[in-house]
Amino acid sequence: MKALPTRCLPPRRGRQGLLSLLLWSIAPWVYAQTPVFEIEIREHLFFPAELVIPANQKIKLIIYNRDDTPEEFESYELNREKVIVGNSQGVVFIGPLKPGEYPFFGEFNMKTALGKIIVE
Amino acid sequence: MTDAVIIVLREVLEAMLLICMLMASSTAMGYRFRWMLPALALGACGATLYALRLEQISLAFEGFGQEYVNSTLLISIAIMLAAHNFLAVFQLRNLSGTVAYGPLVLVCIATVGMAITREGAEIYLYGYSYGVLAGNVTSIFSGGAIGLGIGFSMGTFFYYGLRSLARRQRLIVCCAVSLVLGASMMGQASVYLSQADILPYQEPLWDSSGLFEESSLMGELLRAAIGYEARPTLTQVSLYLGSVIVSTLAMLAGWRLRRAMESTKEGEADAK
Repeated sequence: MKALPTRCLPPRRGRQGLLSLLLWSIAPWVYAQTPVFEIEIREHLFFPAELVIPANQKIKLIIYNRDDTPEEFESYELNREKVIVGNSQGVVFIGPLKPGEYPFFGEFNMKTALGKIIVE
Repeated sequence: MTDAVIIVLREVLEAMLLICMLMASSTAMGYRFRWMLPALALGACGATLYALRLEQISLAFEGFGQEYVNSTLLISIAIMLAAHNFLAVFQLRNLSGTVAYGPLVLVCIATVGMAITREGAEIYLYGYSYGVLAGNVTSIFSGGAIGLGIGFSMGTFFYYGLRSLARRQRLIVCCAVSLVLGASMMGQASVYLSQADILPYQEPLWDSSGLFEESSLMGELLRAAIGYEARPTLTQVSLYLGSVIVSTLAMLAGWRLRRAMESTKEGEADAK
């Protein structure tokens, strides 16, 4: 097979360099903007059951499931729905939200697994 | 046990509507539903595989694998439903003829298979861990059976309701149902995409939870039937309407294609 003449190819190195420079320059900004909050599921309960987060700011919520059973983190108010298998974790982005209370629950244990996010 | 009833019913309702609509539509196009068995088998395999691999899938894509898979499935179902509408209108233009069997079967198998994969995985996970592993088989499975039974009777009711219509009306109603279900799928997909921060978060456009709370029975029914959301965002509403437009365009295309084919046939007949 005949090799392609090099001048037909785009200047890859230059483009990659530019792209990585761009990513590197925005990466710290993106991460700095998104605080991380954590909740745990133990014995089909949320800990803490009330989580306070800042208003008007997007957050990353990590949910650790310490039980052997799966759970579905769900909230109508937050419009979120995610299955977290046993002894694993799940992550969802939330907000930016207006101040107020946003209840959530575990669909597989609707009577006990209740909590809310309080936005201040 | 009541938990199991509700969980299973919630998952089953939407899939049941889809299946019954496709069954009614198949009969209106002059076919039986031989696609059912392969579709159910595909769905069962898909659901089991999805449930067993859920942990790996969830942790992939920086923890958003689940969102990617769910939104891909939902968007694909919406596309398939638009394809169904194309075929249905193609048939509607000339009821005496029949559309190609192959495409219809393909659409039905893909739609039902993907819908069951998504909903079934959750039921599988719940039943297996809370029923089998927790040694609670009787309670969870009888609850699940009741949920499935309620969903099944609602589906039967819906199917025979559609069957009582004349073929033309049945096809029109099926198209309308398929249009709305497809839009509902796109609306749900947008929630997953926003959860993974692929689509930006937005303030809800309105809040109708005072009218129908999503957790209420009416809210759940509306959610399954028309993709009701008490607090939808602009993206969600746009994707919903976008799906309605695409499906309408598919129907227009079906109508025009059939007309063009008929006029060429007539032209050939005239030439003879």
